Amino acid sequence: MSNNVLVELSDALADAAEKAGKATVLVNARRRMPASGIIYASDLILTADHVVEREDGIKVTLADGAEVSARLAGRDAGSDLAVLKLERPVENIAEATKSPARLGQLALVLGRPSANGIEASLGTVSAIGGPIRTGRGGMLEKYIRTDSISYPGFSGGPLVAADGTVLGVNTSGLANGAAVTIPADIAWKIADTLVKHGRIQHGYLGIRSQTVEIPATSQKALTRDQGTGLLIVGVENDSPASKGGLIVGDILVAVAGVPVLHHDELFTRLDGNVVGKSTPIDVLRGGQPQTINVVVGER
Amino acid sequence: MNFNGTFTQVIDELVQRVMPALVIVRGHRFGAGSGIVWDANGLILTNNHVVGRRTPIVILQDDREYESKLLARDPDVDLALLSIDASGLTPLQPAPVSPRVGEMVFAFGHPWGQRNTVTRGIVSALVSAQNRRGETLPVVRSDAPLAPGNSGGPLVNAKGEVDGINAMIIGGDQSVSIAASVATEFVTKVLAKRKAEERTPADVI
Repeated sequence: MSNNVLVELSDALADAAEKAGKATVLVNARRRMPASGIIYASDLILTADHVVEREDGIKVTLADGAEVSARLAGRDAGSDLAVLKLERPVENIAEATKSPARLGQLALVLGRPSANGIEASLGTVSAIGGPIRTGRGGMLEKYIRTDSISYPGFSGGPLVAADGTVLGVNTSGLANGAAVTIPADIAWKIADTLVKHGRIQHGYLGIRSQTVEIPATSQKALTRDQGTGLLIVGVENDSPASKGGLIVGDILVAVAGVPVLHHDELFTRLDGNVVGKSTPIDVLRGGQPQTINVVVGER
Repeated sequence: MNFNGTFTQVIDELVQRVMPALVIVRGHRFGAGSGIVWDANGLILTNNHVVGRRTPIVILQDDREYESKLLARDPDVDLALLSIDASGLTPLQPAPVSPRVGEMVFAFGHPWGQRNTVTRGIVSALVSAQNRRGETLPVVRSDAPLAPGNSGGPLVNAKGEVDGINAMIIGGDQSVSIAASVATEFVTKVLAKRKAEERTPADVI
């Protein structure tokens, strides 16, 4: 029978699996339970942090069956990402998507859990959310969920669009074993930092706080509509916050000029960019706005 | 691109083409499985584990029921070939090449006794299963949902060609189908052997 749209779609999906499959590798970095990884640069593999249980003697198996030794180049438990350095350059670098995942879009989950070949399952992008706390002490700005099946050993492998580009990195290590995907733009950014610094820095202030409503009069004083802020209910001794002059009773409303309405947003703001730097923190003190400079510490 | 309902149309056409070749294989005591019309003159392929101790009854799409003859069964590949006294049936063709990971597949069968269901998936992996003799058997794993009663039914590609014979008993909780190449080889062997046996009496004299 002649080709029709169904056959064309079927061929396109197989092409996408083949293309992205070449950039999907087997990562042997823990006992007995291999996982997957993505060729991120000619000598670098992006994978999930939780599947890397040793720093040296890591074996990576390529699509053509060749085995290449690797060592850990950087890792971030918070986002469950790790970068491995290969002992020799390889081909078939993964192509990250230029258009972010859209709700309802078809997406292939790819993995190479064994040396026998690529494995795939098809689903649709069923949710795009974030920011969320990852349960591993990190914060993920955005995440993707799909309704596809994740087979064992899929962590570290790619979520692939119908054109074969990578939408993100799949892991079961962020949400109590459920599969989530770290969007490619975020994963690639984290990987860049891991290559340069070996780790992701997380900022530390040393305050305890709770979300409170900001009275209308104070909002007026702030000259913006910001419904909530963080009431500081405790400041640790000798902490960056205490050295900078934050006190109990201040309502924290912004970090580095960006409004902070909830704890999660404070978490997001306190990333590697502010660690070790004098950072303006806007508070309401006695109903009046003040800016206090705090040298953010590292957690 | 505007598909204007062409997907629904081509899937409908696929179902209309494949469904006539899907049969019910019912044992005399236990539940039913699925089977595939393998040629126009009444050859029916199913799983060995669907066939009980007595030869099963085969029910066609038009509800005609047939007592079947068991031509051959092989537990090592979990296949059985039945024959019914019918002609002019619509058989399926095995895919000429082995499937690619990622290609679309549709599983036809009667899961949990629900007649004539279609489930969609893609080929997840091309792997080997070990049979009880320790031999390796090429199988197609897919993410199309299968349930008891799907056994013996076809896993077809987007063209309606058979990629595999569904046999979830092999894969435990995973959707596994015996590769079409295994089925073709099994049927060819059985038919060749029968032909040889038919000739034998004359040869002996």
